[in-house]
Amino acid sequence: MADLSNRRWYSGMLTQEDWWAVWLGVGFFFISLFNLAGVDLVGWITYPTKWVLYPPEGGKGAVSHAFYALGKKYSVTAKGFYKGLGWWSVLWTYVVFTIATCIGAAFMRWNLKRFFTGWTIIYFLTIATWFVGHHAFIAANKINMKQYGLNFALSLGGGGSFILALIVGLIIGNFFKPFANYLSEAAKPEWYIKTAIVTLGVKLGYLPIKLSGFSHKLGKEAASLTFDLFVAGAAATIVAYLIFWPGVYVISRKLFKLPRKTAAVLGSGISICGVSAAVATGGAVRAKPVVSIMVSALVVVWAVIELVILPGFFTHVWPGTNDPLVAGAAMGMSVKTDGADAAAGELMDEFMRNKIESETDGAVIWPSGIITASAVMTKVWIDMFIGIWAFVLALVWVYKFERRAGEKVPVSEVWHRFPKFVIGYFFCWFFLLALYFGPGQSGAVEAMPFLKSVKAGAVPIEKGMRKLFFMLTFLSLGIITDFKKLKEAQFGKMVWVYFVALFFFIIPVAIVIAYLFHHGMQIPNIAGFVQ
Amino acid sequence: MEEKHDESRKEAASGSLTGTALEAEDVLAGAEPWEPVETKLVVWSLLIAAAALIIGLLVVPTSILHTP
Repeated sequence: MADLSNRRWYSGMLTQEDWWAVWLGVGFFFISLFNLAGVDLVGWITYPTKWVLYPPEGGKGAVSHAFYALGKKYSVTAKGFYKGLGWWSVLWTYVVFTIATCIGAAFMRWNLKRFFTGWTIIYFLTIATWFVGHHAFIAANKINMKQYGLNFALSLGGGGSFILALIVGLIIGNFFKPFANYLSEAAKPEWYIKTAIVTLGVKLGYLPIKLSGFSHKLGKEAASLTFDLFVAGAAATIVAYLIFWPGVYVISRKLFKLPRKTAAVLGSGISICGVSAAVATGGAVRAKPVVSIMVSALVVVWAVIELVILPGFFTHVWPGTNDPLVAGAAMGMSVKTDGADAAAGELMDEFMRNKIESETDGAVIWPSGIITASAVMTKVWIDMFIGIWAFVLALVWVYKFERRAGEKVPVSEVWHRFPKFVIGYFFCWFFLLALYFGPGQSGAVEAMPFLKSVKAGAVPIEKGMRKLFFMLTFLSLGIITDFKKLKEAQFGKMVWVYFVALFFFIIPVAIVIAYLFHHGMQIPNIAGFVQ
Repeated sequence: MEEKHDESRKEAASGSLTGTALEAEDVLAGAEPWEPVETKLVVWSLLIAAAALIIGLLVVPTSILHTP
């Protein structure tokens, strides 16, 4: 724990990705609240819709409408203006988010010129992928494919775009390495996903407001469900983590005969939140830097593999649409990076909603984002655990294994290891809940004009900004993932430890614990209101 | 050599995944013998997990104990 004496509680507020996720997410959230004063400053945020090259007569899907400004649909005060933006909303979104992210990059002392060019390329690649992924053949389902003149569609919803973005990223990362290297200054999946997670807080807070628009009862159900996820997620995470870490530690030490420090870093990397946990534990037990780096690389590569396998497995094999929130919570405990977990949750959200709608011929429709929220909730709790566990391990190593005379571990270490983006996530969530239960009168009819203004601001953030940052995450994750690393001999043994621990221990335990705490939780059906 | 080591340390601290430190020492060999304190760490962790599970199942309203 050397060189910590100069750190203050506010250290890093302007220089860490974690904090910049908060500033971006909460910053745009506050800008969205100008709607309460009758000024819509976020309606320009762009969003794609399904398209086909030759839409049927009277049908939907003209390419000219493939992107639109969300204010066109949701703005209370400037609908006419935002309606005229159409594809130009892509440029508006680029300009505003470029300024915002470049300010962050400058404060974090990144190479601004390389970030700007890298960000520009990544942004427009993301838009191109998002556009292709919304072709009706990929995104439509059997309920709405006829409107686009199709007799068959893949029913992937928005998930198709995520998969495409990941594939494009992986192609760049593995076949165009100099280009990937050039983009690396702006390929920051952890930053983008943390920002997306802060805006997920807006989504959670907005859910009761949205459902109140359908019915007063549905709004209350949604508020209650998000609280249930919060409590169940906390309990499941604490239990799971305290089983994960010792299990992986024993597997590493006894089965694979690894040294103590390497086993400890692996234990945290595979059990908690991969990269940051590996780095935090590496620091706490003073492992050689190469251990944290190797584990981090493994975490990222395996997370991508999980991201490809688990959403489909949970949707189509078990537990399917019978227990979608068990699947979400298990995902959060199984996938070891924030980016891949939230992305996998979002992908599964799309898969499950499309599946239930198709299976029931449209009789059941779930609101988007709840399954994602269940995946993120357990992950967020695990993230919060990192600081505490790094602190416990530091104590064990200092006072038991290495017995360094006179050395003390400061309690402030817990705060320094705390994932700060979580603050932004909870802040946005609780702020909107306060608006819902306060001036919004829990969705009472007389408060509807007020809640409509809140909605006009919240939707562009929770829908447009959040999905854009998810897309940026998928593409960036692909760009920085180098499968060649798995082949390197030095990784051989660790790859096997990771494989055995993940598939034969972590995932089964996660599923059982998720089942114990989430079995039977129901997502509200909004079919009667949206049709 | 020292400079390179410092660089690696810095990269680990930042969570960088593209470290030059990958071409480094063998950290997989030389396992120490299992010590009683490791048993304690593992067993206590599992005991606390068991206690948390029981309390959680009793207290959390959505747990399987409360599901009809």
